[in-house]
Amino acid sequence: MGSSLLTTAYRRFIGRLLIGRSKPKPTTSASASLQALTAAALSLPGLMSSPVHAAEEEAGFSYGYYQESNRNLFGVKSRFKPIEVNSLLGSSKIKLSDRVKFAFNYTKDTWSGASPIATAPLSFGGNKEGGVISGATPFLQNNNVVFDRQLNPLIRNPLTNTYVKDTQLVHTISSASPETRNQGDFKLSYEWNEAVLDVGGGISVENDYESRFGNLAGRWDLNRKLTSLNLGLSYTNSDTRAILDHDATPYIWDTSGGFNVHNITSNSSQITKQGGNTILKGNRQDWGTVFGVTQVVNEHAQIEASVGYTRSSGYMANPYKTVEAAFVNPLQTGDVLSGVAIGLLEKRPDMRNQWTENLRYVQHIDGLDAALHFDYRFFHDDWGINAHTFEADWVQPLGNNWTITPKVRYYSQSAADFYTPYIVSTQALIHNVVDASGRPVLVSADHPNNGQVYFRDQYFNLIDAKGNIVDETIVNPINKTAPFDAGKLPANYSSDQRLSGFGALSGGITLSKQFAKGITLEASAEYYTHAGSLKLGGGGEGSYADYNSYMVNGVLKVDLSTLSMAGSGHGEHSHHGHHGSHAPAGVMFDHMLDKSGDVMVGARYMRASQGGSMLHGLNDVSDQAIVNNGCEGNPCFDTSSGMNMNMIMLDLMYAPTDWLTLMLMPQFVDMNMTTRVLNGAPTATFDQQALIDHHTLHEHTTGGIGDTGMYAMVKLFDEADHHLHATLGLSAPTGDVGVKFRDTHRIDVGFQHYGMQLGSGTWDFKPSITYTGKMDKYSWGAQFNTTVRLENKNESGFAFGNIFQSTAWGSYSLLDWLSASVRGVYTVQGSVSGAYNGTFNRLGPLDYASNYGGRFWDVGFGLNAFVPTGDLQGNNLSFEWLQPVSNDVNGYQLPSSGALSATWSYAF
Amino acid sequence: MKTTYALATLLFALVVCASGCAPVAPWQRGKLAKPQMSLDPYPIQSTFHAHIYNSREAASGSSSAGGGGCGCY
Repeated sequence: MGSSLLTTAYRRFIGRLLIGRSKPKPTTSASASLQALTAAALSLPGLMSSPVHAAEEEAGFSYGYYQESNRNLFGVKSRFKPIEVNSLLGSSKIKLSDRVKFAFNYTKDTWSGASPIATAPLSFGGNKEGGVISGATPFLQNNNVVFDRQLNPLIRNPLTNTYVKDTQLVHTISSASPETRNQGDFKLSYEWNEAVLDVGGGISVENDYESRFGNLAGRWDLNRKLTSLNLGLSYTNSDTRAILDHDATPYIWDTSGGFNVHNITSNSSQITKQGGNTILKGNRQDWGTVFGVTQVVNEHAQIEASVGYTRSSGYMANPYKTVEAAFVNPLQTGDVLSGVAIGLLEKRPDMRNQWTENLRYVQHIDGLDAALHFDYRFFHDDWGINAHTFEADWVQPLGNNWTITPKVRYYSQSAADFYTPYIVSTQALIHNVVDASGRPVLVSADHPNNGQVYFRDQYFNLIDAKGNIVDETIVNPINKTAPFDAGKLPANYSSDQRLSGFGALSGGITLSKQFAKGITLEASAEYYTHAGSLKLGGGGEGSYADYNSYMVNGVLKVDLSTLSMAGSGHGEHSHHGHHGSHAPAGVMFDHMLDKSGDVMVGARYMRASQGGSMLHGLNDVSDQAIVNNGCEGNPCFDTSSGMNMNMIMLDLMYAPTDWLTLMLMPQFVDMNMTTRVLNGAPTATFDQQALIDHHTLHEHTTGGIGDTGMYAMVKLFDEADHHLHATLGLSAPTGDVGVKFRDTHRIDVGFQHYGMQLGSGTWDFKPSITYTGKMDKYSWGAQFNTTVRLENKNESGFAFGNIFQSTAWGSYSLLDWLSASVRGVYTVQGSVSGAYNGTFNRLGPLDYASNYGGRFWDVGFGLNAFVPTGDLQGNNLSFEWLQPVSNDVNGYQLPSSGALSATWSYAF
Repeated sequence: MKTTYALATLLFALVVCASGCAPVAPWQRGKLAKPQMSLDPYPIQSTFHAHIYNSREAASGSSSAGGGGCGCY
């Protein structure tokens, strides 16, 4: 049978494991091996992962992309693109000591595109205006709508001028500007022999939402680690601070206040007006707990069962979702009832209790050495939602360290009690106020709120409250009106698709390959379909709400402890050439790999900011000068007041020979910019003013994949103390240069500013030459590099200027693991050539091509830390701050106010 | 009603354990230690997928209480 072979193989595997760790005490051979085996087996850290394959110390990078399909708009062509999301994750796990582990994760998501803001009968015409096909902002306001006596929506047939029942529903789609989220979280673990305690926390930040969380978890192993008990506790506190869509706010009513009131406090949220924006604030708290049992069933299987409870309170609605509400006066006669439809901000309960029960089962399939995973979850809350999740995965090793895992998942949920596609309320939207005896109350049209009321006597004279006749022509009377009675609406209502009844089916596949030197690559793809018809038991939402999506993901994992396990000889040798000769963090292509077969993985983060006062050439410039001269003869209305750009790059280096190193550098960028009005700007037209408000009242954000660099570094000269190499590089325009603003005030705002696009859009040639030298504790270097655009315009019609840069630095070893550096940089960049070839509104200097580029001097101060020995040897971390010294800009620009670079690299 | 579900699941697990759980000696745990047998063989991918599912489905949470931000598109 295979068991004796397995036992021998297992003993050999454990034996190899033991060599790298402590040696067992010498006793008689039989009992020694048994002791060793038992000790090793009992030190297996729980049943979740094995000590060799799941690295104890690891760095991981993941990039994921998610894209939804268009919603069915029944023939209306929408200009909006559906939601797409880019997600970046960097994770690290390190051992601080034998029993203490630390894990840190950083997540960045950027998303843009359109999603449903409301649902309405197709006859309400929410996605088009006056019959003209457009993708303009949703038409939520004061729609005149018609119903039959059973309150079914009717649509008018223009040819026959009759009304026909049409109960077809449709989503009203609205687009949000691009958004970015950043999250950092950590976990600290302490391990005893039979138990583990974790404490963790983190923070997630977006423009309109900030969430802080903390958690505690413990695991207790019983029964010779055949059984584990898990208990977890978490607390999350989140703040919403949303700028309500100002195209919709005149028409979005907070129902607790009624008629156009924007500063009524409801139980869990508050609406205020600040500087031209309408802001909704809310807070939310979640307490959660999970208890689980993991049990080894037999040699081939284990099972985990857990229950969880979460209690959420506070503001849990979505400030960007509304419910279309039609007000129909029931006192009308006839078969066709007319009404007025408006959008109401959705209203959800401020308490939610949720329970989950989970079951996970893993079974080993002997013949194929595969593992079948089966997961089931049941979710239940007091909002009326019951949901089932079924998932099955088949993890199949294919030999040569390849693994393939197909997966299928089915999800079904029932609708929330207060979910409704739209509301019909049998009352008038606005009614005329009458007094106790039924007399209509009148007010002055010019001063309707001054408290003076008037009536008509039996001769139709206008009288005041005391009964005196007053002059109609002075008073100018109109009916006093009052809004609908909010108490007649349902207590809570939402048309958010997430709360509707539906089912979702998805299928995916993951491929993974483990390379030598502890590098693992994983890639996955999944296709997901959401449909009301897929709901378990039927009764789901109509097919108008169906959509599909796909998600793809790539992961790179680096096992940081491979070097320390295999012994330290290789590590020291390969770092001999690098020690102390890493250039400051802001310099790229500064070092090559020593020997054929070497691999290096690194991550680079850079944050560059612009701010301070506007410059023309070398000098500060006044607003009036900018207005007059900054826009190539046209008037200037606004200018940028600040900009930040974050770039995350992955450096993947491989040396196929001793004299050649190849490097691949994908990157992810996100940018934000604030704009202000120029003092002394001329009066703008109505449309221009709408655009200026749109720019100056909101911070703009873009983010996503940037351009990808491919480089070949060739060793020209390499002695003990001096090194010279040349780099030939090509930058591929994988960064989107067609990023546009969302519409505002039904105006197509067009392209985002040149500097907010995600790349250059052109293939760029990037050659450079680098010299480094060292002596004792000193090291130094210099580099010339250039970026030459190989096309004179990209697909959006423009190209950035060429760049030439020269830099020199010196560094000194303060300690054997720490060095400090000083650097000077001179950069020349040309201005933009061409201009956007589509809708583009030129309102300020940054919209004109001549206001780009210049000549810049910067000084850099840096620190570099290197781990020479120990578990983490081979890791290098450096920081540099680049301070601008002289900015000589072309035209009128906001200058650089500094840049921070941080790099991490790990050589094998 | 909800506590019944909770207890039912726990009971199910205990029953499975009691009836079908063979005592497994340390040297027999080779298969269980394989990477494909870990309860979550692709933790980084799971985080990515979970975030997408939580943004489009009402059922939230997982078998560990983590907490986290929204990023709800």
